[in-house]
Parts: sequence; structure tokens; C-alpha cells
Amino acid sequence: MSILTSAEFWAFVGVMAGIYTLFTLGLQVQFGLAGLLNFGQVGFMAIGAYTMAILVAKEGWSMWLATPLAIGAAALAGVLVGLPTLRLRGDYFAIVTIAFSEIVRWVATNEDGLTGGAQGTINLGGPGAATQYNGQWERLQGWVGTRLHIGDRDVVMLLIVWSITLVLLWLTARLARTPWGRVLRAIREDEDATSSLGKDVFGYRIQALAVGAALAGLAGCFYAWQFSFFSPDAFQPLITFFGWMILILGGVGRVWAVPVGAVVFGFLFSATRFFDFAPFSYLDSADRAYVRLMVIGLAIIALVLFRPQGLLGRREEMVLE
Amino acid sequence: MSALLDARGVSKAFAGVRAVVDASLAVEPASITALIGPNGAGKSTLFNCISGFLRPDDGRIELAGQRIDRRPPHVIVRAGLGRTFQTARALTRMTVLDNVRLAAPAHPGESLVSLVGRRGAVRRREREVTAQAHDLLRLVRLDGHADTLAGTLSGGQRKLLDLARILMASPRLILLDEPMAGVNPAVREELLDHVLELRASREIAFLIVEHDLGFVMQASDRVVVMNEGAILMEGTPDEVRGDSRVIDAYLGAHA
Repeated sequence: MSILTSAEFWAFVGVMAGIYTLFTLGLQVQFGLAGLLNFGQVGFMAIGAYTMAILVAKEGWSMWLATPLAIGAAALAGVLVGLPTLRLRGDYFAIVTIAFSEIVRWVATNEDGLTGGAQGTINLGGPGAATQYNGQWERLQGWVGTRLHIGDRDVVMLLIVWSITLVLLWLTARLARTPWGRVLRAIREDEDATSSLGKDVFGYRIQALAVGAALAGLAGCFYAWQFSFFSPDAFQPLITFFGWMILILGGVGRVWAVPVGAVVFGFLFSATRFFDFAPFSYLDSADRAYVRLMVIGLAIIALVLFRPQGLLGRREEMVLE
Repeated sequence: MSALLDARGVSKAFAGVRAVVDASLAVEPASITALIGPNGAGKSTLFNCISGFLRPDDGRIELAGQRIDRRPPHVIVRAGLGRTFQTARALTRMTVLDNVRLAAPAHPGESLVSLVGRRGAVRRREREVTAQAHDLLRLVRLDGHADTLAGTLSGGQRKLLDLARILMASPRLILLDEPMAGVNPAVREELLDHVLELRASREIAFLIVEHDLGFVMQASDRVVVMNEGAILMEGTPDEVRGDSRVIDAYLGAHA
């Protein structure tokens, strides 16, 4: 049980919760504000991670230039996905977004020359080159650690990820209260009424999709730095639905519900790996890994039954009149 | 005087069913025109063509000389033509005040670029819009509900909110789709007063689809009668009242 009390382990859980917070914050903008059912968020995350890694490792760009570009590429992908699809009805749009994220993953798997293929980023420079993209990031982490006198790299990562996450949460919460956020909420409620009041519904949906995609792109960059290596397998559709679970756990429509959902999700997800007592001890470790998904599933079912608005959501946001 | 709204030869069919057939109508500035006819006459379809929610198959629609057919609804509103819906479309999970503020035109706070780059202008406009929204809510006597969710309003109050909201967009012509449907007599009088008052004080023109003939006769300058997709006749309330074709259309008699 010693791992349960280890700072590194919980720092790791915290870093992942931060990355998922950014990832889900994008869904909150898209769905919580604008009502867009994006089931392909992981595709934008993959585009962010790959753009950063390719520009740094293959093109030799500075991380400081490659990262904004990676976020921009994810946002641009949002615009490009939105242009032909956002006029579709909500459920068709949702299906198209799943297809989009799968296309991204399969392209990453098969375009060896661009992405390193199924072997992942280590293969970016070709076979045998063992390519890395995170030299500058490691130096940044080291620098921050020295300045703050923190020796543990995971704790430094935790601080960096959460500092940026908190700033972005604050900015998004402010954005939600602006007239821009007001238009998005109106569209979520009634798009015809909103367009009859002079608002370009299509244009705002594109913007919401792009802003949410940019957040996923940044989450992708952090994911890349956290693991120093990734492959297309990291971007399974399941990741998008982890984001949706976090959104439902925390509460739809409230920005600050996202970190709460992410931390609870992260805790449930990692705590269940310590189910080494009966009856769970009858299962081998691979089976137990699935038990945690069941535990999270049950938690969500219980939540929807007893608290449909999520931990922090507003009830009137979720319940029909 | 040239017409404010000029629709000519508008036609619209759905899968072979001709809902509107070669319909023409004009609305003068600051006038009240009623559009009446039995159910299925094509009034709502014509309304939706004019307000951009449907694209007419044929015809030409101009607002103050500017062509508006084939334009999306939000562009038509900005050109000065507002509309309400048959059932009030309050945004129920937003406050009454936000419902009205939403309709403000030319708000820099609705653009991400201005939110970053023109924060002073955004704040100023929002203050202005908020004051104007309170004025409009006072006009329809909903100011006491400004901070409650619009979902808590009654049906009649929602109709009044719809009116206040579209006024925020400063239209020169408002299309009202059955404003009297499902409204109690007190709110009915209130709506009638508002229409007459807004025409007099703000020179707003109205085109009103309405089944309540008492209201139509009381309020309108001109009445346009539709039947089976076509314009049957057009005239003053008195002319229409005495016309046998109108009576036939309503009673379904075939003389």
C-alpha cells in the first residue's frame, strides 16, 4: 500500500487530472455553453500533440513557437471540421466528430513518414533514431524546480500544469459571462430564436468548436510532455468519453465544475487500482483494470439518478421544464 | 410613398404541395397590416419566407429597397425586420434581462477579438444595452422579473418578453405571428396598446398574422387575406369585412 502514500503517485494523478481538466474544459465550452455534441475531442488533442512533436523533433523548431502553432492547428482543425458539419442536426454532428477523431488516429497510425506511425513519436526521425521532442520542456521543468527548490519532477509538472489550467479556467469562466458567452448559451437553448435576434448561429458554433479544440490541443501538448513519448494508441475514442464522464460528474454549464469532476474522476480511476482485497483479489490485475471502469460507471449512474446536475452543476440546467 | 416591405410573386412548395403561390404584398412604413386566412392558407409559410427561415422558390422580397430573399434570418433582422414566433420563444434558462440584452445589435462584446482588444468599448456598450433593456422591460411591465429565469414567466408574460426582446434589435418592421394565441384578455389589451403605441411613437410598422378578427379590425390599417396559398384580396378592414369571398374562404362554402 506504500504507493498510496507516495507523493510521486499522487502528483502523477494530479497532473493527469489537470490535463483532463483542460481537455474537458473544451467540451464545457462546446457543450455546456453552445450545446455542441462533440464526441471527437480526442482528435483535436492528437492534432495538438502531434503538431508540437513533429515541429520540434522533425523541423527543429523551438518548443515556444511550436506550442502556440500546435494549439492553433487544433483550433483550425475545429474550424475545418465545423464548416461542413455544423449545419447538421446535433446527433449527426456527434457521429461525424467520432469519425473525425478516428480518421486522425488512423492517419497517425499509417503515415509513418509524418508521425512515426504505429510505433509512435520515437520513430519520428526514422527507424533507429529514437527521436525525442521534449528537451526544452525538460530544461524548463528543471529550471522551475531549481527556482522553487523542488526536487521531484512530477511535483514540478503538477505545479506547471495546474498553474496554466487555473489561469485558463479563470479566463473561460470570465468568457462565459461576456456577451459572447450569452450568445452561446442562447444558441444552446433555441437556435431559431437566437438567429431571429440577429445572431449568426453558425459562426458562433464554429467559434465555440475552435476554442474547445484549442484547449484540447494544449491538453495534447501537456500529455506529450508528461509521457515523453506517445503513439496513436493514446488517442482512442474512449479518451473523449472520459472527458464526457468528467463533464457529467462535475456538472454541465459551469466552468469550475470541470476541475472538480476531473479530480474526482482521477481519484476514482486511480484509487480503484488498489482493489487488491476480496472479492477483487480473485481477479487478476488486467481484469481489475476493468473493474475501475465499472466503478466509475456505477458512480455516474448513481449521480444521474440522485444528482442529475452533477456535483456542482445547476439543477435547472439539466432538468426539462 | 414607396413600401417598406415589398414582396412580389413569392412561391414556396414542399414536396409538391404548393404552400404559397405567387403571393405579393406590401407594407407601408409605420402601418399595421394584418395577414389573415383559414388554417393552412400559407400565412406562416409566407412569414417564414419573408423572415428568412425559409427560402422562397420564386419571387423577390425587398425591405426598404434592399433585397432580402435568400438572406439568412440574422442578416434580415439586422436590416431592420424583426419577428416573433407563434409560441413565445423565451430562452427559459436565461434571465429575463439576458433575453433582452441578447438582442442588442452591434455589440462588440459578442466578438472574441473585441473582448480582448476593445475592453472599454465592450463595457460601455454593455452598460448602454443594460439600461436600454431595463427601459424596454419597464415598457412591458416585466422589470420586476429582470433577474429571474425566463422559464418562470407565464405564457402571456413570455409574449410580452418576446416583444420587448425584438424591440431591442430596433427593427423598422415587426412580424408578429399570432400574438393573441393563448393570451388572456388583460394581456390582449396590453399587446394591442403596445402595437398602437409603438407605431405612433417609434414609427414601427407591423405585419401581423392573427386569427382574432376583433384584434385585426381594431388595430390594422390594411388587411391581406390568404386562401390556399394565394392572396385572395387586400383592403381596409371594412372592405374585407364585407367581402363575400372572405366569408366563403372562412366558412369553406363554395359559391
